[in-house]
Amino acid sequence: MSLDLHKVAGQIEAAASALNAQGADRSARLDRALGVLANAEPETLEEKRQLSRATFLIPGLGGSMARRYPCPTLPASYTALAVDGSHIDVDRHLPVQCFLINTGRVRIQYGDNPGAWLDSEPRLYADDDSLHVFERDGGRSRPLEGPLLGAMRAVEELRALAALARQSDPDIPTIALIDGSLILWGLAGQAHPDFVRSALLEDLFLPAMDDLRQLARSRPLALASYVSLPRSTEAVNALRLDASLCHYEAANCDMHCRALRPGQRPCDGVSGVLDRELFGALLAEGERSDLFASASSIVEGYYGGHHVYFYYLNAGSEVARVEIPKWVAEDNGLLDLTHALIIDQSRKGHGYPVAISEAHEQAVVTVGDREEFRLIVEDALQRQRLPVYTSEKNRSKRTKWL
Amino acid sequence: MAVDEARLGEVVETTTTGFWAHCYRLYESPPLGALVRTGGPYPAYAVTHHVATQGIDASRRPVARGADAATEEAVYLSNPQLSQLLRTEFQAVVVGHSVDGEPRYRLPPSPPPIYAFVHACGPEEIRRFTSNVAFLRPLATSGVPALEEVVAACLSLAAQAQPNPNGFLVEAGRQLMGILPGELRRVEAILRGATR
Repeated sequence: MSLDLHKVAGQIEAAASALNAQGADRSARLDRALGVLANAEPETLEEKRQLSRATFLIPGLGGSMARRYPCPTLPASYTALAVDGSHIDVDRHLPVQCFLINTGRVRIQYGDNPGAWLDSEPRLYADDDSLHVFERDGGRSRPLEGPLLGAMRAVEELRALAALARQSDPDIPTIALIDGSLILWGLAGQAHPDFVRSALLEDLFLPAMDDLRQLARSRPLALASYVSLPRSTEAVNALRLDASLCHYEAANCDMHCRALRPGQRPCDGVSGVLDRELFGALLAEGERSDLFASASSIVEGYYGGHHVYFYYLNAGSEVARVEIPKWVAEDNGLLDLTHALIIDQSRKGHGYPVAISEAHEQAVVTVGDREEFRLIVEDALQRQRLPVYTSEKNRSKRTKWL
Repeated sequence: MAVDEARLGEVVETTTTGFWAHCYRLYESPPLGALVRTGGPYPAYAVTHHVATQGIDASRRPVARGADAATEEAVYLSNPQLSQLLRTEFQAVVVGHSVDGEPRYRLPPSPPPIYAFVHACGPEEIRRFTSNVAFLRPLATSGVPALEEVVAACLSLAAQAQPNPNGFLVEAGRQLMGILPGELRRVEAILRGATR
């Protein structure tokens, strides 16, 4: 028997009803957050942030928080580069251990000499060396699967983006776009030892960022990533430090509020509000927010000159989060370029940057492709007279019997 | 290396009696009724009878994009990726083939292979191949949609390549009367279409 949708439907109905009941409460919290934002003093908040030890992520504040930037003028000609990847993860039911990363690559040139180039590049990882990440000066290793494979995919994407940038016209303003975050969140936390972060970030991801920065020194090239429907609350977290919500001189959640359950803390007056809701109420279509500096431990620990900054952008159909490296954030020309070009890309893409959307289409690995991939692997093994086997569990799933 | 201007595209679906060809350039298909020639071991002569332009990915239907554009051309210029995501194909019915450069007015022993190049025939090649109106039999009996329009368009283009267009059309009319016995009005409609 498969999923009993009749039984699920009742549960979904109850969940929707509960969400509806929370609506008024959420609206009140958003109003509170907007009120705090209007009166917040970013310098004071930033000073307090640096003294505080909060249990939630608070970004560095540089500007005025509530300031709105109108969309800059669009250059007459520009190039949009974008990459996106998808993968077939290691399948332990397959007779051979391997994974595949398919990177979609797109270059679209607008203006005087319009044109487009779309393609994808699949890469198979099947030998032991490429299936693992190794400690630089030691004997430890970790298999590249799950979140680590996600990080490897991000490496492939960024390398492909740097290669695209190298080949594009150096005289035309260019935006190099990535879908999602510039921060390799999959490597954050305590789940992975330091050598894994070093190998994937310091040896692979950041050198590709270096390549892009190097190119940007001699041409108008900006790197940005686009997070659609962001669920982050970092800007709202900064508001929690406001004296109207946290009356301590320096916040120390564990010390001051440890005994209070979430929801009862004074700063919970704005909890549950998402950054996109806050800036959705503040920004007019085409406008962006001020810049925030990511306070993520992985960014602070590893990114250095590529420290990630972000802003929110009212792209028309949604409020998106745009992430940029420090060298773009500190160059007003490049910063404006990301703003103007992403707005134009979203307009052309009916609400989502068209170059990223097309890169995604190039990268997609369908269910049919996955099955075909498995058959090709088995066929290749058979031709080499290697044993082809699968787990009994997989065989049982494939051959349904009564 | 630049592609030969007369090379239109490649065969992407093939049978003994006809094929689909994918055009190299969007909207640059041969006109309705045009004579084309394929590559392959038995180069086939075929008449274009159906042209289609659609999205390469069947699951992605084109959406309206020109609400703010002044011209249709501007829609393509401001969305350069469209030329990569749409494709023009045409379908042609095989009406003969060539052996050592000599026309043969019967079906080739085997159809053109997939990826065989498809060339537009120039005036001299059209004159030579259509000088024998036997090519009309496989076309007029093919049962393709809008058959009369297709045959009329083909005769019109062929007549332009002949030294005596009227004499050619009279000869073609006689041939059609033999192929479509008792269908005088139909033949008349075809000839009227060919001379319009």
